[in-house]
Amino acid sequence: MKLGPIDIAFQLQILPLLLKGALLTIELTVMAIFFGTIIGLIVALMKISRFKMLAAIGGIYTWAIRGIPLLVQLYILYYGLPQLGINLEPMPAAVIGLSICGGAYIAEIFRAGIQSIDRGQMEAALSLGMSYPQAMRRVILPQAYRRLLPPMGNEFITLLKDSSLVSIIAMTELLRQGKLLSNSTFRSMEIFLMVAVIYLILTTVFIYIIDKLEKRFAVADGE
Amino acid sequence: MITAENVYKSFGKLEVLKDVSLNVKQGEVVVIIGPSGSGKSTFLRCLNYLEPIDKGYITVDGQPVGKIKKPDGQLVDDSRKNIYRLRSQIGMVFQRFNLFPHQTALGNVMEGPNTVFNTPCSEAKKRAEELLAKVGLADKADTYPSQLSGGQQQRVAIARALAMQPKAMLFDEPTSALDPELVGEVLSVIKDLARDGMTMVVVTHEMSFAREVADRVVFMDEGKIVEEANPKLIFTNPKHPRTREFLSKIL
Repeated sequence: MKLGPIDIAFQLQILPLLLKGALLTIELTVMAIFFGTIIGLIVALMKISRFKMLAAIGGIYTWAIRGIPLLVQLYILYYGLPQLGINLEPMPAAVIGLSICGGAYIAEIFRAGIQSIDRGQMEAALSLGMSYPQAMRRVILPQAYRRLLPPMGNEFITLLKDSSLVSIIAMTELLRQGKLLSNSTFRSMEIFLMVAVIYLILTTVFIYIIDKLEKRFAVADGE
Repeated sequence: MITAENVYKSFGKLEVLKDVSLNVKQGEVVVIIGPSGSGKSTFLRCLNYLEPIDKGYITVDGQPVGKIKKPDGQLVDDSRKNIYRLRSQIGMVFQRFNLFPHQTALGNVMEGPNTVFNTPCSEAKKRAEELLAKVGLADKADTYPSQLSGGQQQRVAIARALAMQPKAMLFDEPTSALDPELVGEVLSVIKDLARDGMTMVVVTHEMSFAREVADRVVFMDEGKIVEEANPKLIFTNPKHPRTREFLSKIL
């Protein structure tokens, strides 16, 4: 069964393996989003802290991580660290690499979101006697979340796509699965087209979910 | 109730408060007037440490604000916990209301007691409902700030501050951001508070309000208190030429 140059039977034959890779891609992305968001929130709070030391550390973190290609960071984590006696399995290395990198970008998103909230909100919260952490948790962050969602969605999609980079450190996610298949069958065009379609489907689903969340937050805001 | 001794405050090179001293007695309503940039709002914000002062000493109900006096007279920074506790005892109402937009009117009024005092929800809710009724907004409990008029928002903001059962209230130009027809409803709530004996410091441009409600009017200009007197005296017979000039422009 052929559709122009594309052999449907062959596509169906490789699909299960590619989907297995896609599952790993999703797993990686979800973990990177989870840990990246935690790192991002902490680093963002450090960067707006009145303690200069914390602000400086946060600043250096985002500066360095955003300035070094993710691929180089992954090389350092996976191929560099063993020289110091630290051997990471591919999975932890991939999750750590993606989380650290995502965290830096997410930190900037959080910082911008928090600072976009009117100063009067913090003052009103403090004037009620709230501590700074209480004001953040109860007043500032709940308002920031909604504004954060669109840029966060972008970042999550970037993370999903960037997860393909970990194929170089022996993680058999979607892209590497495709590469292995193409090495053994030499039908690169069909395989990588299929890989591309699966990525496209994944990002589309992501965008859909984020869209839904955005609408729900808008309702919760009473607008 | 509130004492400020020789308060100085600068923003960078700009000296906003120069040696300001003020005493507010229990139950007294002090209205601060003056041209914009005279430092009156900054002074008000110093009273609950929203602005840390550079020099001077402030107390509210006998407790030092932000700085404690050591036995040798030296001033040292107070702990953040004490500052938070002190703020919870002073209500503040802002020019731009600053209601929490993600919460209903009721949620706004409950927020302080809930978060700061851990008041049980049912109790906080009951009290919040009473306060909303007091400011005439019992029917707006479930409405979000974005759907309230400016006057209604400001009344919710007053209820929010009262929910902490403060010892004193600070009003920072509470009607300046309102359409003229909405000023009255907010002022009447503040007047009620005055009648109940609340200690208040009010920064305002509403001279008729000052005349009617103030026990004392303080005129500030260029970071200093130029003149203070009871409203009858200051409006009919201002002593200082600067006060006279200002009042002639505004009345």
